[in-house]
Amino acid sequence: MFLAALKLINFRNYDRQELTFHPRLNIFTGLNAQGKTNLLEAVYCLAVSRSFRTNQESELLRFGSDFFYLEGNFQKKKECYQVGIGYRPPRRLQIKLNGKTLKRAEYLHRHPVVVFSPDDLLLVKEGPSIRRRFLDTEGSRLKPLYYRRLRDYYRALQQRNRILKEYRGSRSFDYSLLEPWDQALVKFGSTVMEERIKFLGALESRARSHFATLTAESESLSLRYLPTIKFNGDFELLESAFREQLTAGHSAELRRGTTLIGPHLDDFAVMINGCDVRKYGSQGQQRTVVLALKMGEVDLFNSAGDEQAILLLDDIFSEFDEERSNHLLQFLSCREGQSFLTTASPSWKHSQNCSGQSKIYTVYRGKIKID
Amino acid sequence: MSFPEPLQKLIDEFCRFPGIGPKTAQRLSFFLLSRPREEAVSLAKAVIEAKDKLRFCSQCGCLTEKDPCRYCSDPRREQKLFCVVQEPRDVLRLEQTGHYRGLYHVLHGALSPLDGLGPEELRLPQLLERLSQKEAGELILATNPNVEGDATAAYIARLVKPLNVKVTRIAFGLPVGGDLEYADDLTLSRALEGRREM
Ligand SMILES: [Zn+2]
Repeated sequence: MFLAALKLINFRNYDRQELTFHPRLNIFTGLNAQGKTNLLEAVYCLAVSRSFRTNQESELLRFGSDFFYLEGNFQKKKECYQVGIGYRPPRRLQIKLNGKTLKRAEYLHRHPVVVFSPDDLLLVKEGPSIRRRFLDTEGSRLKPLYYRRLRDYYRALQQRNRILKEYRGSRSFDYSLLEPWDQALVKFGSTVMEERIKFLGALESRARSHFATLTAESESLSLRYLPTIKFNGDFELLESAFREQLTAGHSAELRRGTTLIGPHLDDFAVMINGCDVRKYGSQGQQRTVVLALKMGEVDLFNSAGDEQAILLLDDIFSEFDEERSNHLLQFLSCREGQSFLTTASPSWKHSQNCSGQSKIYTVYRGKIKID
Repeated sequence: MSFPEPLQKLIDEFCRFPGIGPKTAQRLSFFLLSRPREEAVSLAKAVIEAKDKLRFCSQCGCLTEKDPCRYCSDPRREQKLFCVVQEPRDVLRLEQTGHYRGLYHVLHGALSPLDGLGPEELRLPQLLERLSQKEAGELILATNPNVEGDATAAYIARLVKPLNVKVTRIAFGLPVGGDLEYADDLTLSRALEGRREM
């Protein structure tokens, strides 16, 4: 599957733009702040029905516009279908597939897309929330059940936290009020944990081999899920362990007025030869890890369906030295899926690696020209 | 831009309706004004009549003209079978399937602390009283298949435990996260038949 054509109206800094794409590699060159990332965002938004940069759809509107519209043609083997994404507040985002309206939950999982941007380096630099977000957005795009359970988990969590906040410090609290929400938290939370652990395991096995190649087999990568619920790894026993530990913490939660354990507080560790990269890794090691993780993710999306993932690379080569860049280029030229790549470096125009297999564009002030 | 006062008043009234924003309220108001006077009078009468003649059944809580309602006062219905639903409109929905022959109990909501709805806001004491009075044999929980509906069902199942009533939850082939009212007849009938003990 690949995106053959795209039309943007009032999206970010584009007022109106129509483009056709190469089925393999599309390279967008230009100075910074001209709209290269916005173009990748438009491709992502069309394929997934949301942005990878913001949850606020209003941020996607061109300054002064009261709507945006994206339309694209996807080519899947011999068939072709059209997707339209429109947004005109206060109405909700509209998704149309060949003219038929779809709900976001019906559309979200249709196209495998992987984004790789300098922000991904934060995965091995920052606190746990960014890693949870990575697990949840990537994991739930691979599996609709994960998405639903996650949504239900957070809903039950909010309801439960409201009760804990309202009765915070109360001495005559009726614990039967918490009971139905505990049940929901345990049921949905256990599935969320199980899905995250399985996703991490699958990612690990694929990222490992890329990492081994990148480091000439000298170092070994591993990923370990760090749950706030202690359990022995047997998913059959997870629900009862969750329930026990939740119940044991009731009085502490009532004192603090919030839920103190559960997957909303979990994290995972990225390790090289058993050492946490975040604490002990060098800049270079951290970059290699992220590169291996993202290529592993692309492999994961490829094997999850019969479709090759669309890969969006936002100015990523600026972060890598020549060796890592070459490895990534090798990976790109070997894969069958479609890739979109932005770069501020003009040297790309003369790159040997992608001649014949690519189309090169120049982005300047919200206008795109084919070179 | 400001509207003449009577028009603004009409728009404000429409704005109170669920799902109606200022723009729709304006459209509805202009539409009404474009129609003959009789139509406006007949609408106004229908509103007042519905409000005066309909009330909530003192027993089951459904919408009715006479109290007790026709379900509660029909001796041919199974007197030991109860079905709990969230809203009065759910009763009509289940009746349309023609598959349910027991009594109803409408909660008028579901547990949702975020919306200030706790057990005390639902009609639970009345439920307990009816169940023990009629010596009920089975209680079907047909709250919506979403997080709040499930939590409400779990809460009720625990609440009625001392009464030794068989408690079942309707089976969900129902659209997940959806409401009872959007399920089609066949799905809803199947959900009733395939109910499971809690
Ligand atoms: Zn009644």
